Amino acid sequence: MRLETRKLLDKAFSGLGLIAIAVMATALVLILSPIIWRGSKAFVFKGTIEHRRVMLEQFNRGNPDRFNQEWVQVAKAREPVYRMLADFEAEMREMPSSERREYRSAFKELQEAVEILLGPAPGEDIPVLIRKRYGQTRWDRTQIKLHEVLYSEEWDYSNPDAMGILVEKPRLEQFMGTKLEPFFAYVEEHIDEIMRPKTTFYWQFITDTSKDSHIFGGIWPEVLGTIYLTLGAMIFAIPMGVIAAIYLCEYAKEGRIVSFLRICISTLAGVPSIVFGLFGLAFFLNTMHVSDSRSVLAGSMTLSLLILPTIIRSSEEAILAVPRSYKEAAFGLGAGRWRTVLTVILPAALPGILTGIVISMGRAAGETAPIIFTAAVSVGAPLKIWETLNQPTPALPWNIYNLCTEHEAVDEIRHVQYGMVLTLVALVLLLNLFAILMRARISKKLRG
Amino acid sequence: MTGNTSKSLVMSDAASIRQRIGSWIGQGFLLLATSLSAFAVFFIFYFILKDAIPFFQLEGFKEFFASKRWYPSGHPAEFGALSIFVGTGLVTLGAIVVAVPLGISAAVCLSDLLPFGIRQIVKPVIEILAAIPSVAFGFFALVVFAPLLQRSGGAILATGAWLVLGPILALLVVVGGDLLLEKMRNRIQGKKRYLASVSVFGVLGLGSILFLVFLSRRLGGIEINSGTNALNVSIILGIMALPTIVSVSEDALQAAGRELREGSYALGSTRAETILKAVIPASVSGILAAVILGVMRAIGETMVVWMASGNAARIPDPWYNVLQPIRTLTATIAGDMGEADHVTGSARYHVLFAMAFCLLAFSFLMNLASELIVKRSRKKLGK
Repeated sequence: MRLETRKLLDKAFSGLGLIAIAVMATALVLILSPIIWRGSKAFVFKGTIEHRRVMLEQFNRGNPDRFNQEWVQVAKAREPVYRMLADFEAEMREMPSSERREYRSAFKELQEAVEILLGPAPGEDIPVLIRKRYGQTRWDRTQIKLHEVLYSEEWDYSNPDAMGILVEKPRLEQFMGTKLEPFFAYVEEHIDEIMRPKTTFYWQFITDTSKDSHIFGGIWPEVLGTIYLTLGAMIFAIPMGVIAAIYLCEYAKEGRIVSFLRICISTLAGVPSIVFGLFGLAFFLNTMHVSDSRSVLAGSMTLSLLILPTIIRSSEEAILAVPRSYKEAAFGLGAGRWRTVLTVILPAALPGILTGIVISMGRAAGETAPIIFTAAVSVGAPLKIWETLNQPTPALPWNIYNLCTEHEAVDEIRHVQYGMVLTLVALVLLLNLFAILMRARISKKLRG
Repeated sequence: MTGNTSKSLVMSDAASIRQRIGSWIGQGFLLLATSLSAFAVFFIFYFILKDAIPFFQLEGFKEFFASKRWYPSGHPAEFGALSIFVGTGLVTLGAIVVAVPLGISAAVCLSDLLPFGIRQIVKPVIEILAAIPSVAFGFFALVVFAPLLQRSGGAILATGAWLVLGPILALLVVVGGDLLLEKMRNRIQGKKRYLASVSVFGVLGLGSILFLVFLSRRLGGIEINSGTNALNVSIILGIMALPTIVSVSEDALQAAGRELREGSYALGSTRAETILKAVIPASVSGILAAVILGVMRAIGETMVVWMASGNAARIPDPWYNVLQPIRTLTATIAGDMGEADHVTGSARYHVLFAMAFCLLAFSFLMNLASELIVKRSRKKLGK
């Protein structure tokens, strides 16, 4: 091969490596950016008057006087809407029955669309379901629902060879020549006055309970459940993991038993997370009966087994990184082995051990599979601390799955799903960032 | 005074025995706490196997491993898990195809090419990628990636083909053309040489561009019926397996040592030749261990496949058609336990434990293999 070709190949090889790194970074950005961008819209968005009504009536938040002033103006703007609907209903009653039949179903559809947009008409009974008591709370959803008021959707099956095509028709055409004709132009032009969108910073999304299975409100039960599960797993895993690391580093003599223990630890690290879930169900719940049903306790125990190997390994690394001279100095001063471990080695290794603990906290917070059968429940109130012993809890990872696959109104609550994912990812990444910074400090300290 | 000092320094027999017993008890306690993970492993194997055996007693082995008919709630129920095994294998294979070339090149780049400063920036990127919870990946696959694939799958496939094959073909053209010219050099002289090189590169370049255009046309015409399919899951699983593969194989490459590299440079090799012919062969076992660990991550992953694989228990037609929905072992366990939980003791409940046992046994064997490989390579490198 010519030298030029060899040089070219060398450059291409470097390029390949750089491309691989670039692809990895791009993948990270591509995955995180929609989560961050759309997740932030659960916190900062244009809220309509209906959002402020939900806040006032369901969460006792906001200034009632100012709301009432605003509500009077909104009611004034909405009055023509309801008047035109009522006028048309009267007009329809006068029509000959054949003509009336023509309009009836179209009118009913329109009424329903208006109710979804604005909530129940004034004077109507208050519906039982909370989600039916209010109109659209978010401006982005408002525009979609407004479109549904203005246009009707029909499936066109005229071409028998192809799949049906969705066709949108302006409802205006349906009601041409009736008293409803000016209705559509009015709603479209006055939607700002009708809904009064205002940029809202809803940080209470994290600390509010959810109303009517996440249609309104926040995600506090899930956040709290995740915190309980993570801390519970830590309570079991930290002592066991740190003790095991101390034993393996300071006491054990390399031999059959230790190498066997090491194989067990690495096997435990390789067990698929769903198998941990099944084990938790079969052992903690069906055999040990730690609680009657799924519970935070059983879930924490399962999670603690999952993170135990991580904690052992990182603690071991931290203990081994303590300079030999520390230990020798302690021995030289006449300290016993146990005293050396407690007063010299552990304090010196503590930052490293904490780094491992923080990273495994992030892991425990994000794991879903082990808690499906042992701790998670789709809908629930925030638990009191003593209820964690025998009650299941909603948790962020499980409810993300649940809301985006099994919820009855998946598309309506996309913002809640994204908000939950963002909260979980932010929680985990903050923990990891903390660990990275801590490790950087340690390495600086050890170097200098 | 002297007697007093010696008294405090030399222990009486009783005190010595007491201290020895104390240290024995203490060490015993430490050993017990350390054995917790050993107990956990045994208990996991025992309890999964205990609930898996009744299934094989009830239904036997043959149907489970050989039949494609999976109707656990039918009358009579059928438990043919072959298609589920194939689905697991297919997405794992897909994840390997995505993750292994990328991961190894990234590891090489990290260990041998990048300066220290940039490495310190790239490493946190890998850590962040490893830290993102699997349910977030699953959410991305289901809510963002699947609709995208469904809407413009052909365009994405075509762009992917250009991005992946373009640089590779360009390289092949340059190197192949160069080799051809070298062979011709003796026969052609003078001005003709210039003409020959133009024509060789022209023909090769034009040919590969035409090939790419043809391929991307074909791929662009593909319509994807469902965005939740094996391709989607393979790509996401590949990305999830990347951090493991990169960090473990980077460790292996680092362990190959400076002397080896310097020896190779001294013989006049370029950096690429050093890495390809000296460093990688020396650390191949460590890289293999990294790949195994990455594969285990992909096989054991639950949420992504449950959310985005389509969960259809059938073998794609043909078997490598990654554009069709599939179903995996982990997703079946996660999805069916909700219904089977109420019928504890039935074959439907125990079949899930049988699947879990297969997963467990496989990951155990893989883990042992990777441990052995790493141990042997350490011995070989003399560390």
